[in-house]
Amino acid sequence: MENTAVVESVETALTEVLEREVSGLTPDVRLFEDLHLDSTSVMEMLMSLEDSMDVAIDPETLDMDDFMTVGTLTAYLQRLLGEGK
Amino acid sequence: MSTGVTTLEAIASFAPERKVPIEDLVDRLGLRRTKLRLFQRVHGLKEIRFDPELSLFDVVLPAARRVLADEDTASRVRHVLYAHTTQAVTPAHIDPAREIRDRLGLHRAEAFGLSQQNCASGMAAVDVAGELLRAEGGPGDCALVVTGEQAFSPKIQLIEDVAIMGDAGAACLVTLDGAGDAVRSYATRTLGEFSAAMLLDEERALRFSKVYAPELAAVMRQAVAEAGLGFADIDLIVPHNVNLQSWRQTISELGIPREQVFLENVERFSHCFASDVFLNHTTLREAGRLVPGLHYLFATVGLGATFAAMVITHGASVTAQGAQRDAGREAA
Repeated sequence: MENTAVVESVETALTEVLEREVSGLTPDVRLFEDLHLDSTSVMEMLMSLEDSMDVAIDPETLDMDDFMTVGTLTAYLQRLLGEGK
Repeated sequence: MSTGVTTLEAIASFAPERKVPIEDLVDRLGLRRTKLRLFQRVHGLKEIRFDPELSLFDVVLPAARRVLADEDTASRVRHVLYAHTTQAVTPAHIDPAREIRDRLGLHRAEAFGLSQQNCASGMAAVDVAGELLRAEGGPGDCALVVTGEQAFSPKIQLIEDVAIMGDAGAACLVTLDGAGDAVRSYATRTLGEFSAAMLLDEERALRFSKVYAPELAAVMRQAVAEAGLGFADIDLIVPHNVNLQSWRQTISELGIPREQVFLENVERFSHCFASDVFLNHTTLREAGRLVPGLHYLFATVGLGATFAAMVITHGASVTAQGAQRDAGREAA
């Protein structure tokens, strides 16, 4: 999947979880500091992405380093998409 | 003043038979699609026991009756402590602690409630019971700690993003130096900045989520150290059933194997007010998974916020008479 499509999926998921419009994300945007997510809202965002991107997330093996920025998150999702192929 | 060791002579629990899958609570709790998935996939919840047809006392009393099975035991009870989380569980003219005492026929006992530590109140009541018996108890005297509540309103059934509460009750008969599980240590820490509990503002809620695992781990380490033990000496951690994600974080903080924490009841019962550690103790004992002489660590957190941990040694009576009774109980 193109990275821009992954970012669009992330924006849609964050719009649902944060109940406000999220758009124009760039790789350097920080999830916790800039978007004010916490560990639970990160998990909820992942639940939304499971559906929209058709990936399977294993809560047992999550590494919070993957959720530092939009860039690390999209890299994590691209890895999951790769595993699904 | 006695120096006797607080001993859990008997523990029993009760949960309504009616099982409700988490997905059936979506409308009642106002959960959107991703919140439900969060509770199911990340927090590991499947179903709760929940029966609005029962009264509060239908939930509270069965376990208490079980630990008071014989008249001799009932005659030894000097105190009844009802540990609850919701402040007002009955109409104002009914004192639930006295009602429980009277319905159990424990007319010689004094009765009072203990609630300010929310879900950590059950363990706090065990500690208070031990202190009361040491201060003014006679040989063989005991105190009855009871827990049990119902999720009578969506407002107390849902702890946003954290837990879905189920119904359950438990009873713990506390004595000094008798037969049962000896209490080796009790560590507790209350952080008053989170006293708004379920009404925390966003900033404090975020801070609570950050300090939760480190604070719980610290209290658990303290309890183990004060018992003169290390984590390798703990056969199993008997936790509260709040959710799997909180335990993943706490287990990671402690650096212990996940198998050391009994998490099987999270999906079966979810979080049941102040009853979880007693409920889990009952499950483990009935499955033959508590070994006489081995050490177990209770661990819980009450909103408000109190972190609490207690080390017990199963069947570790400190008197010959107690040892005989332990042997009889294990054989049974």
